[in-house]
Amino acid sequence: MLFRYTHRTVAREFVLIATALVFCIPLYLLLTMSLKTTSEVYTAPLSLPKSLNFSSYSNAWKNAGPSGMGHALFVSATMTVGSVVCLIAIGSLTAYTLARRTGRMSTFLYLLFLIGIILPFQLGMIPLYVVMRDVGLTGTVFGMIVLYTGMLMPLTVFLYTGFIRVLPRAYEEAAQVDGANLRRTYTRVVFPLLRPVTGTVAVLTGIIIWNDFFLPLVFLSGTNNEPIPVALYSFVGNYVSQWNVIFAAVAISVLPILIFYLFAQRELIRGFAGGIRG
Amino acid sequence: MTDIRFEGVGKVYPDGTRAVSDLNLNIGEGEFTVLVGPSGCGKTTALRMIAGLEEVSEGRIWIGGDEVNDVEPRKRDVAMVFQNYALYPHMTVFDNIAFPLQNRRMPKPEVRSRVEHAASVLGLTELLQRRPKTLSGGQRQRVAMGRAIVRQPRAFLMDEPLSNLDANLRVQMRAEIARLQRDLAVTTVYVTHDQVEAMTMGSRIAVMRKGVLQHEGPPQDLYDRPANLFVATFIGSPAMNLMRARLESIDGRLTCFVGDQQFELAAELLRAKPHLEAYRGRDVALGVRPEHIGPTVAGRPQLRGVVQLVESLGSERLVHVEIAAEPVLTDEILELKRDIDEAAVQTLQQGHDEHKVLLIARFSPEATTSAGEPVAICLNAQRLHFFDLTTGEALH
Repeated sequence: MLFRYTHRTVAREFVLIATALVFCIPLYLLLTMSLKTTSEVYTAPLSLPKSLNFSSYSNAWKNAGPSGMGHALFVSATMTVGSVVCLIAIGSLTAYTLARRTGRMSTFLYLLFLIGIILPFQLGMIPLYVVMRDVGLTGTVFGMIVLYTGMLMPLTVFLYTGFIRVLPRAYEEAAQVDGANLRRTYTRVVFPLLRPVTGTVAVLTGIIIWNDFFLPLVFLSGTNNEPIPVALYSFVGNYVSQWNVIFAAVAISVLPILIFYLFAQRELIRGFAGGIRG
Repeated sequence: MTDIRFEGVGKVYPDGTRAVSDLNLNIGEGEFTVLVGPSGCGKTTALRMIAGLEEVSEGRIWIGGDEVNDVEPRKRDVAMVFQNYALYPHMTVFDNIAFPLQNRRMPKPEVRSRVEHAASVLGLTELLQRRPKTLSGGQRQRVAMGRAIVRQPRAFLMDEPLSNLDANLRVQMRAEIARLQRDLAVTTVYVTHDQVEAMTMGSRIAVMRKGVLQHEGPPQDLYDRPANLFVATFIGSPAMNLMRARLESIDGRLTCFVGDQQFELAAELLRAKPHLEAYRGRDVALGVRPEHIGPTVAGRPQLRGVVQLVESLGSERLVHVEIAAEPVLTDEILELKRDIDEAAVQTLQQGHDEHKVLLIARFSPEATTSAGEPVAICLNAQRLHFFDLTTGEALH
């Protein structure tokens, strides 16, 4: 097909570029603010920095949270990866059972999970805190992994169940006739076929956990295991907030996610858009 | 010895739908049996019951002398080819074929040699590292076959494996599957709704309708001596011509009235079908295959009509002749027509209102008949079929 470069195309491209620039404004602010001195932040917040001042970065790296930015990054990463792995492992198995069993019990359980998505977490926060404290899970990364796995399980089960319900049964039936037992059918055939939705679950829940501020504030505050969002909060005071340091810390905390996106971009898009072919 | 036996098998789904009723069928060792019938006749359910993918509600299924009602699919040692092939999309062709062997924890070198052998038999050697989505329909079909043959199972089960292929490829694959089955001599149950596939591939055919086995036997038997109207209409392309007729006695001789035309039934026919005598004075369904209608020959039953259409196929001409008669409108005929198209039912009902029946005759390519011409056609007296209009049973 012949592509015609018309005035309309030019206009469309212009609108797209303008929109992209609007989306770049937060990134511009983030980087310029992080490279400014404290006085410059207040005198010329929107301008480019007069000179590149990297001291905010070293300050943020050393002083974020009780154990520095490196440890906060490690806590965030452990919490996120641990929770996502548990969510995928348990959620996909639960959803597989719920989707493939058509009895009343599975419908009831599925509805129970749906209610879990609808109910606001804040309603159950105090009893949850009491229980977590009594079993000794507050203040630990392991406790947060348990907490996030439970909290995001309804969403995970919902996403997986929807996907599995439209997954043709023929693959599983073929595996059964081919001599595979239930475990092997699941691990070798079903789970690999869930790759697109597993990608979606990993990204969605991963972002929620990585960015979550409230839960770590309640359950981890005051311990050495503060993740990035809580660690960043240490730069915000009642009277003085060091915005250049905060922005430098935000830039550092965004970096792992950006790198992840850069490398996994194609897979992620395929995950969101893809179905099963072949 | 791997024969498959259905003993009074029935299948009722939880919602009360009955898919198969009292199925009794023996599939001998090494036989290629085709289960054929229109959509919803229970053929696929019967096949899935052999595989263990559907529970048996009534009766028993035996594979090689073992009752398998309560045996898990993976322990039945049968291989199945699915309608959409069900190739695992995340595995390569090699892994797809090797999967059944890996499930048996077979040593790697043996897996490799068996997969390579199966691939060479099916012409897949070049494709072993490819993923299913990069293969054509025919290649996928071969991979599915490879996955089935690599295990050397007790039986092959095939569920409409050619229905996703285009016409040319279907003819080619039909021959390939038949050859492969003959070479391997493995008991095979093949499900299809295409009677041409059934006729050309099967050593035996079992025709099903509404979950009930109608007729089972070698293809030629079903074609020549169909058990009832349903089998007569379902087997054969073009289908058997059917019209209402009345059997009357004139001067003591049994005469067949078709509309306002009549012909005397030959003595040999009456000897071959003694039951016809009992239908003296009654209406019956008269059937005749297209190849048993030809240009007039003295001494043979004749019918007059008008040529509506001539289809020249090169090797033969299909001549559509409209005669004044009443079409046969029974449940089974309507069901089969409905399976083709709702318009086919309307055409039949219109014929009923106008007392017209369209017969299709297979003429030689030299025949000079053309559309609009009045024509006299001759029926092969020895090859006429008669059916009871109430029960649909063939009168022999």
